[in-house]
Amino acid sequence: MTDNWIVAELDPVRRLRVLAAAVPGAVRHREIVLPVPVDRVWAVASDLERELPRLLTTVRGFRFTGGEGERLRAHAVGRFGQRADFDVVLRPGWCLMRSRFVLGAMAAVPEGEGTRFATLGGFRLPGARLLSPLTGLLGDVAIRRLAEHPALQD
Amino acid sequence: MEQQTGPGGTSATGIDPALVRAAQQGDPLALADLMELLTPYVGRICGPIARQDGPDAAQDALIVILRGIRQLREPAALLGWARTIAVREAVRVAQRAGRTVTAPLDELRAAGDPQLATDVEDALARLTPEHRAVLVLRDLEGVDESTTSSVLAVPLGTVRSRLARARQSFRKVWES
Repeated sequence: MTDNWIVAELDPVRRLRVLAAAVPGAVRHREIVLPVPVDRVWAVASDLERELPRLLTTVRGFRFTGGEGERLRAHAVGRFGQRADFDVVLRPGWCLMRSRFVLGAMAAVPEGEGTRFATLGGFRLPGARLLSPLTGLLGDVAIRRLAEHPALQD
Repeated sequence: MEQQTGPGGTSATGIDPALVRAAQQGDPLALADLMELLTPYVGRICGPIARQDGPDAAQDALIVILRGIRQLREPAALLGWARTIAVREAVRVAQRAGRTVTAPLDELRAAGDPQLATDVEDALARLTPEHRAVLVLRDLEGVDESTTSSVLAVPLGTVRSRLARARQSFRKVWES
């Protein structure tokens, strides 16, 4: 009988909401609905080496350096030359990036004929919530740049 | 002895204590990994209790679990602690949604019908969230009456009467 009982599923956007509420220093959580199918949105968003420098004003370069499967390593260079190594978890609809000081994440699920796309960012520092206005502004810019991305226009 | 079944069918000791400790220190990857491990378990509890509001309940339960992970003294107690939170959040969300159907069970289909899964869902729908919670804890999770009483913060007699009512509802499905 128990085989017939329903199981509640948690899609990637819901999982990102959980992390946004639970991870210390996660201060930038945004969601947007794009009128583009999820596979097209994710093809752009998950191309981290090409797109992160376009979407994030603070990133100048991002290169994978190792790892396998969905667990990867990457090296990022900031706009002012600062460098950081990232642990990355990347799979369809889900991306989580963590360096020593920074957290970044994205999630995407189908919504109607479009896509619900979510981002999360923050600093792994005490008092990170004081930086909320700044990171909120950066998140808004990234979301807007994704929505206006040439590959996502009909 | 209550059954201890973990996420993905692993044993209660299947979750690495080091992962729990890293999550307690606020590591985002550890919190995400722990969320992935707990999601099937929490979803299995929240689904039958909160039904169509199950994803909301599972989301809220995982938020409470991960925000409170620092308070967990013993990693081995994680699943029991998570189960208590999941049941309570599922009942709360289901009560808030107020979707319980109070119609009689006469219209349910016979056992063996291809619509059996639908019938089980129908039987669940005709119970209150509190009755569904007792059924999930006793019949799905294999938890004893005393623990069920503690998880739901109700007297033992209430657990027994709710269970009898819930099982009677299901019996009508099988015998109709």
